[in-house]
Amino acid sequence: MQTKNIELVLAPPAPHMVGDGFRVHNFIPGGYHLDMQRMDPFIMLDYNSKYYFPATERSRGVGVHPHRGFETVTIAYHGKVAHHDSSGGGGVIEEGDVQWMTAASGVLHKEYHEEEFAKKGGDFQMVQLWVNLPAKDKMSAPKYQSINNRQIAKVQLENDGGVIEVIAGDYKMTKGTASTFTPVNLLNAKLNEGGTALFNFPVNYNTALLVIEGKVKVNSEEVVPTDHFVLFQNEGVEFTVDALEKSVVLILSGEPINEPIVAHGPFVMNTREQILEAFNDYNTGKFGYLED
Amino acid sequence: MFDEIKDYFRGKSVELTPEIEKIIDDSLERRSIKKGDVLLRQGENCHHTFFVAKGLLRAYTIDEHGKEHLLQFAPENWLISDRSSVLFDGISEQFIDAVEDSEVILIETGFFEKLSEISPGFQRFNMYALNNHIRHLHKRINLLISASAEVRYMDFIKLYPDILLRVPQWMIASYLGITPESLSRVRKELARKNFKPG
Repeated sequence: MQTKNIELVLAPPAPHMVGDGFRVHNFIPGGYHLDMQRMDPFIMLDYNSKYYFPATERSRGVGVHPHRGFETVTIAYHGKVAHHDSSGGGGVIEEGDVQWMTAASGVLHKEYHEEEFAKKGGDFQMVQLWVNLPAKDKMSAPKYQSINNRQIAKVQLENDGGVIEVIAGDYKMTKGTASTFTPVNLLNAKLNEGGTALFNFPVNYNTALLVIEGKVKVNSEEVVPTDHFVLFQNEGVEFTVDALEKSVVLILSGEPINEPIVAHGPFVMNTREQILEAFNDYNTGKFGYLED
Repeated sequence: MFDEIKDYFRGKSVELTPEIEKIIDDSLERRSIKKGDVLLRQGENCHHTFFVAKGLLRAYTIDEHGKEHLLQFAPENWLISDRSSVLFDGISEQFIDAVEDSEVILIETGFFEKLSEISPGFQRFNMYALNNHIRHLHKRINLLISASAEVRYMDFIKLYPDILLRVPQWMIASYLGITPESLSRVRKELARKNFKPG
């Protein structure tokens, strides 16, 4: 099988705050060569690298805001996030859990550090990924897939190499837990030192990885340290990840949707008119109401 | 260098001859400012009109109790200034500052007159812009003295479709001349009427 070679390796860009609770490095679409078209269907990736938030009485977070036209996927590595929405829904995303929220026609929500976590303070580490929806599904009904760590499908690697959590898509015939609208593979490779994993995705799928913990060697040649992002070429199908120390690696690979993308703030649609409609719907209460 | 304002003029059907382009290039100035940076303070003379290439500015006054009253927002492609200070050489009663990190093009006093003299197209644009501004001010005065909070809000979102997502609620309440609680009531009531959970 032909090797999928590395196109580029990116160090984490300077962090910025989202609200006062998320200190993130933006890789997609702000990173060099990581615009929405290149990374389609992945249109945004904010990475809160491990960061210590001191104890506080008032939970940090991000206030009420809408989304339309895509899905938000929150992967919690350290710390806990509580969320509430204008339909009365809510919950807590705990360490190891994944929340796959289909905003689609519209969600109005807020996200805060979970109360007990905020009171104690602690390490916080998360990924928030936005997955675009095809035009035909952009105005479908919103839904949540709250996936706790126990529910995530897992594949044990040979020779005690570690485990692959199949959040979505598939890995070695094991199907992922989350359902998706277009083909998306989202995997957490939790590798022991010396562990090795082989990945295989179609040539046209936009494919990348992010080293969350540890240090890995990709395709037996490129050493990639913690918090670094790797984009693969759209040539070849297969790549390997060898853990030089105990490591956690997020792997994403998706079939491009190849439709026009018009993005403005929290709305990602296909035309400018649809964006104006989204603003108007938000302004006139069609996303509901939620107190800050 | 001044692409945004050139595109803005072209969009208003002003033909940009090489002569006009040269005047633009020679007399305008571009400035990157950070959220919170102040371009004009009460008590100063205002020497510029500000064109927003990127970001968001606001004009406001502060009363004797220290309370802010928001006169105008200026998002991308808006012009903002204190005309009484620029044109009548008075001391400004307003503050103008940046609500977001912004790219601003500074237009000196005299620029509009100079271009109006040499370009009939520009003169038409300038007259239209001035009359349109007066029309908006009249509408705003009328709404402030006669309309309900909901009517003011509906007019606001038509004029500024994306500002609600860009600024804190109290700024919008201040622009509308209502309390934040009353803005909250208006928005809750709209959601009650229009929100149909999927």
